[in-house]
Amino acid sequence: MKSAEEINCAMETYADMVRRICFVHLKNRDDTEDVFQNVYMKYMLYEGTFESREHEKAWFARVTINACTDWLRGFSRRKWVPLEVIAEESEAIDDASGEVLEVVLKLPEKYRNVIYLHYYEGYSAVEIAGILGRKENTIYTWLARAKELLRKELGGEWV
Amino acid sequence: MNPIRKSMENIQASEELKQNTLRYLHEQQQKNRRVRFHYAPAYAVAVICFLLLVGTGGYSVYRKPVSYISVDVNPSIELNINCFGTVVSAVAYNDDGRNIIEQVPLKNVSYMEAIDRMLKDESCNKYLKKDALLVFTVVSDQSEKIVEELSGNKLFQSYGALTYTSDSACMHEAHQHEMSFGKYRTYLELLEYDKSVTIEDCHGMTMGEMHDRIASCSHNEQTEKKQSHHSNSQGSHGSKHGCDD
Repeated sequence: MKSAEEINCAMETYADMVRRICFVHLKNRDDTEDVFQNVYMKYMLYEGTFESREHEKAWFARVTINACTDWLRGFSRRKWVPLEVIAEESEAIDDASGEVLEVVLKLPEKYRNVIYLHYYEGYSAVEIAGILGRKENTIYTWLARAKELLRKELGGEWV
Repeated sequence: MNPIRKSMENIQASEELKQNTLRYLHEQQQKNRRVRFHYAPAYAVAVICFLLLVGTGGYSVYRKPVSYISVDVNPSIELNINCFGTVVSAVAYNDDGRNIIEQVPLKNVSYMEAIDRMLKDESCNKYLKKDALLVFTVVSDQSEKIVEELSGNKLFQSYGALTYTSDSACMHEAHQHEMSFGKYRTYLELLEYDKSVTIEDCHGMTMGEMHDRIASCSHNEQTEKKQSHHSNSQGSHGSKHGCDD
């Protein structure tokens, strides 16, 4: 079991990333809080050791994505209304960002994951394949399709 | 900065979310500790029971003899051996045997080590002179292996010891007569030749004396058979001296 010191450190380092992954998957703050707590609970009980900070960060990304996917398996939680999610965060999001986020949040779940990990966290396709447990070719395909969808919605100048 | 990164830049974990989560984790840690502490006595009892069970079972297996070796000269001693080939107890059937057991530590060593110790010790060694006869009798499911091992022992060979096997029924009968089963087997052999011999007679005899008497009776019997065969050919019957058929 992780010590209070390790938990505090992980909270300072990865809380924002965990929160953002929850944001691109979940429909409201209540769900986010539940999944957020679940992720840190898993970290507290994790018996393994991390080889590096990068390894630990990738562990958090993978566990959070899986926790969100598990959470969304509940039938009543599948309703997904991006505008409501964005409205909840209106204080933190300006109009231009809201427009981009609305398009991103409308993407299928698998595309949202790769777009977030690639464009926000800066992971390469190879690294994303490792985090999501998929083949590299699959990630390349998902990235290409996700970019195409974004290009259609946002125009050619979006990235 | 790419637009996606920029759009999410301000999505952050609030201080409230972090503190709620830390509080939740702290509560869970306390609960875990309480549960562990609550069940600690039960775990301890379970572990103690398990260890006792394994310990008692293991000890009873260790203590249980499965093979027996009777060592007879004049001293008569039985070694009780467990499944690991270790002597778990030694029983003397006369005063000479008791004298050896008191002086030579025979328990908790392999039976070959116990026999070596016994034969090398002066308390036993003094009986192994001149006409003395050293006899080993084995009762075991693996008697052949034990006999083979005994026969390969140098001390055993130097004393010209003899080996026999017997069975548990014979062993129980011997113990009813307060005699080692090795000596009892020899008594039964002697009885084959001399019906007048009693178990009390044998209690006071050495193995050498008993074997001499067997040899003597056997020799007489053969002589009588020859004479009988010779007399029969002449139409007359001989008489027996000392030993019955």
